[in-house]
Amino acid sequence: MISGNGKPFGSPQALLERAEAIRTERKAIKQEIRVCAGPGCIARGAKDIHKQFQSEIKSHAKELKAAGLELDATLSEKCTGCHGMCEAGPVVTLEPEGTFYTGVKPRDAKKIVEKTLLHDQLVDPLLYELGHQRGGGKAERYTDIPFYSLQVRVALRNVGVVDPTNFDDFLAEGGFKAFAKAVSEMTPEAVIDQVEESGLRGRGGAGFSTGRKWRGALRVKKDRVWLICNGDEGDPGAFMDRAIMEGDPYSVLEGMMIAAYALGATDAYIYVRHEYPLAVEHLQLAIDKLHTAGLLGDNILGTGMTLNIRISRGGGAFVCGESSALMRSLEGKVGEPRAKYVRSVEKGLHDEPTVLNNVETFTCVPAIIDKGAGWFASMGRDKSKGTKAFSLVGKVKHTGLIEVPMGRTLREIIYDIGGGIIDDRPFKAVQTGGPSGGCLPADKLDLPVDFDTLSRAGAMMGSGGMIVMDDHTCMVDVAKYFINFLIGESCGKCVPCREGLRQVYDLLDKITKGEGEDGDIEKIEKLCHTMEVASLCALGKSAPYPVTSTLKYFRDEYEEHIQNKVCRAGVCPSLIMYEINEDCTGCDICARHCPTEAITGIKKKMYTIDPEKCISCGICKSVCKFDAVDIKSGDKIVSRDAVA
Amino acid sequence: MSEAKTNETVHLTIDGREVDAPKGAMILDVARGMGIDVPSLCAHPGLEPFGACRLCVVEIQKPGWDDWYKQLVTSCLYPVEEGLKVWTDSDEVRQNRSVVLDLQMARVPESDYIRELGRQYGVEKTSYAERDTKDTCIMCTICVRACEAIGRSAIATLSRGPDKYVDVPNKDACIGCLVCASLCPTDAIPFTANDNGKRRIWDKEFDLVTDERTGEVLGTPEYLAHVQKRAEGNGLVWPETLKQESAKVKRYEYARKLSRVADVEDRLADEAK
Amino acid sequence: MSKRLYVTPYRCIDCKVCEQACSLANTPVPGVPARPRVQSFKVDDQNNFVLLCLQCDEPSCQAVCPVGALERNPETGAIEVNDKCIGCGFCVRACPFGCMDYDDTHNEYIKCDVCKGDPACAKYCPTGALVWSDKPWTDQEAEEYAKKKSSDPFTIALEMTKK
Repeated sequence: MISGNGKPFGSPQALLERAEAIRTERKAIKQEIRVCAGPGCIARGAKDIHKQFQSEIKSHAKELKAAGLELDATLSEKCTGCHGMCEAGPVVTLEPEGTFYTGVKPRDAKKIVEKTLLHDQLVDPLLYELGHQRGGGKAERYTDIPFYSLQVRVALRNVGVVDPTNFDDFLAEGGFKAFAKAVSEMTPEAVIDQVEESGLRGRGGAGFSTGRKWRGALRVKKDRVWLICNGDEGDPGAFMDRAIMEGDPYSVLEGMMIAAYALGATDAYIYVRHEYPLAVEHLQLAIDKLHTAGLLGDNILGTGMTLNIRISRGGGAFVCGESSALMRSLEGKVGEPRAKYVRSVEKGLHDEPTVLNNVETFTCVPAIIDKGAGWFASMGRDKSKGTKAFSLVGKVKHTGLIEVPMGRTLREIIYDIGGGIIDDRPFKAVQTGGPSGGCLPADKLDLPVDFDTLSRAGAMMGSGGMIVMDDHTCMVDVAKYFINFLIGESCGKCVPCREGLRQVYDLLDKITKGEGEDGDIEKIEKLCHTMEVASLCALGKSAPYPVTSTLKYFRDEYEEHIQNKVCRAGVCPSLIMYEINEDCTGCDICARHCPTEAITGIKKKMYTIDPEKCISCGICKSVCKFDAVDIKSGDKIVSRDAVA
Repeated sequence: MSEAKTNETVHLTIDGREVDAPKGAMILDVARGMGIDVPSLCAHPGLEPFGACRLCVVEIQKPGWDDWYKQLVTSCLYPVEEGLKVWTDSDEVRQNRSVVLDLQMARVPESDYIRELGRQYGVEKTSYAERDTKDTCIMCTICVRACEAIGRSAIATLSRGPDKYVDVPNKDACIGCLVCASLCPTDAIPFTANDNGKRRIWDKEFDLVTDERTGEVLGTPEYLAHVQKRAEGNGLVWPETLKQESAKVKRYEYARKLSRVADVEDRLADEAK
Repeated sequence: MSKRLYVTPYRCIDCKVCEQACSLANTPVPGVPARPRVQSFKVDDQNNFVLLCLQCDEPSCQAVCPVGALERNPETGAIEVNDKCIGCGFCVRACPFGCMDYDDTHNEYIKCDVCKGDPACAKYCPTGALVWSDKPWTDQEAEEYAKKKSSDPFTIALEMTKK
């Protein structure tokens, strides 16, 4: 690998020259193997694949050399951040062709080296199956796959491209070009002007104009401004910030450095969630490297600027993702939010002016400074500019990490990029914005995804989690699930959130158990209203959204649970019954698995379930090979294919 | 512990009455200063505003807002602004207060104080599922904040969400001053002030120091040591400050020093009876 | 020069009118007397003494208060207990003169606040031993005052209840 000379850079010019030198050296590299080391791929053995590649390259050294591919000189093999298509992991891409291999196992490394590297042949079984998309067949390059071709990556520009532990890699990709430009050519005001003109809004959820926030802090004349990067990503199913911090830590830091330059901040924190040890490791490596490179500490790049960035690890409390709670936590106090009538740009950390932005927001900043505000503002729609990263999860075919320009419709995201619903079942709802976001039904699929449209529809952008649900999802159960999550994560400071969530959960639980009464919905609505208007922080105010949005769009389902004691999705155990139909072959497998011995029958004849003994656990259905177990609710069969 | 007061004032309207208030003052304090009764459970003038009980919510309208648009804010945390209009008892305010009290009644069914407050907002009985408990803690955390203010931080909130509770993780720091228990609006902290020369609170037993001459209880040894340390820290080192005497004895001693009061001993003996 | 409470011990007859007046003037519950903030002593057959808060320049009570509940009223110059009090009692321990006290009847911490500029003790003192004035009285002034003022406890009590 190419490395620097270890001395700190004395000027922005020296840094840019070094980047250019690395690029020139790297022109010799003919082939690059990028192994995805995102959390999903690591779990499926990406590190072993990486090791296997290294040893295969070693054992094939002679042949590779003969083919003009020498490791480090003309061939590079590295682990990168998340490639996005987690569902198909582990993923390996070969550059510059863009060959895209999915479901790679360590033993495939040999095949890839021998076939693709040495003989220019594709390893067919590892290619991505397009299915019904684009006429089917197999995709040779990732650019052939709609999942990738429809994305525009700004915040994720280097994720999956660079080795997050390699500073030179980052420099070669144009890293710190924006920072060098800011400190050498732009005044702090000009930086803020650019950020404001770009229309960048906070990616953490609230969507406040980043430029305006920075200007607000600048207006408060105080000796010190704190800078905080919020990496406490806690929404279930959300991993955008994680992917960025793990896969491209230098871009986050560069964004913070540009902000620090604009604001005159000398001290900054990155607050990283406890559950992200790899992010901490990569960020710490990057920070240490930047200190030795003269990009952090005193007299940065010889400009006289001082900046120290420290990592603070959260204790695993969801509420600490809320900015004021995060600041309390940084101060060493109990992580509880406080009212934001006095904004944190005036009184934040230690009651001093503080600018707090999300990981994704900071990561967008270098791109804006580099390519200009106009370029960023040309993407998106209305008052939501640029792109936004989403984690697409749930009952969608291609789960993973994506980034699209603001304003793409939900349909485009779910059907074109996500490939539609698993098993082509009907779409029922999409939950956006994390646990306190809202659920949107099928008739909202053509809504453009931007801050304002989503909140008008009763959902929200949030940090960018997107959970897709099919018709086997009970909306009351979904609301109950999210309320239960929030009960566990509410800080418990203020009454409407602490007590209200408990009572809403009780009521929802009653309804899913078939004990709902007339007036329960109204009671829930009244309670939700108070939670929404009278809670202290944004978390409490948005806590009822899972309930209010499902009530808004799926009220009939609530009523059905209460009036008819029916769960049409076949989810709520108290409202469903299992029955064996005539497809039963009498194989006895269900009876053997039934924990309560509720299933009886004579072999090779139709079995029956004793409803008195049945506890609706669903094991019989999941073990049946003949689809002979039905779920009934009321008098209707509402069969599901498999019990989750 | 409000901000350093400046002489700047702002002009606002509360419940239709115009008032000038110092900049930085909170709506709650200004309204109460005007004799308006705004309920609250977690506010204490001597402690940092907290904003947890949500009873002091009021509706506000800033100048320039549409006529129909109002916002519900926490008056204990909202600093007054020029031209602000405030309603402390509108329908929306009352409705939310009643839901909050309803929730509190479900939390602490045994608290007479909350029941009485609920009645004022039309809640006779909670409409929610009552907790099965004799505990009357409403998590206002006045106790926790007071303990921090006096410099001990013995008690704290533990856990989170509906399971949050107040306990004494730092038992050694408790000096048995009883401030927490005496400030608790719902008497949720059990204690015994003086049981045969012993004091008990937070599962801890304390000795008691009494004035030699009058028999008056001065506090626990830990309490007296804490005050002494605090006084010394503030540069107060005169012997009278640190003497373990009641106020009464100090007065007599001082008077005697100044004018040789003749009957001090007799009168102290009388008082002790 | 602003007004102060002047004490002239040799004029004191230890009649306890000051204590009584203070007690009634400062009670938060009418009809339930408060613990007085002033105290008179008999020294010997000829001499008596009146003690109340000295309103120190550097008050110990204020120094130890953790919540800023003791503040000087700029108009009267007296230190007053405000509603910030959390009842820790540090002030009682800190005052070297015993002039900070706790009223267990009304559960409040008390001290002389010169009745916010109209001290009841001085108002009812029959002899001019306690005087709210901008300068100490001469004996002549005190005598003239005492002549006009009744020292009959019954009359005084009537006068007090009139308010």
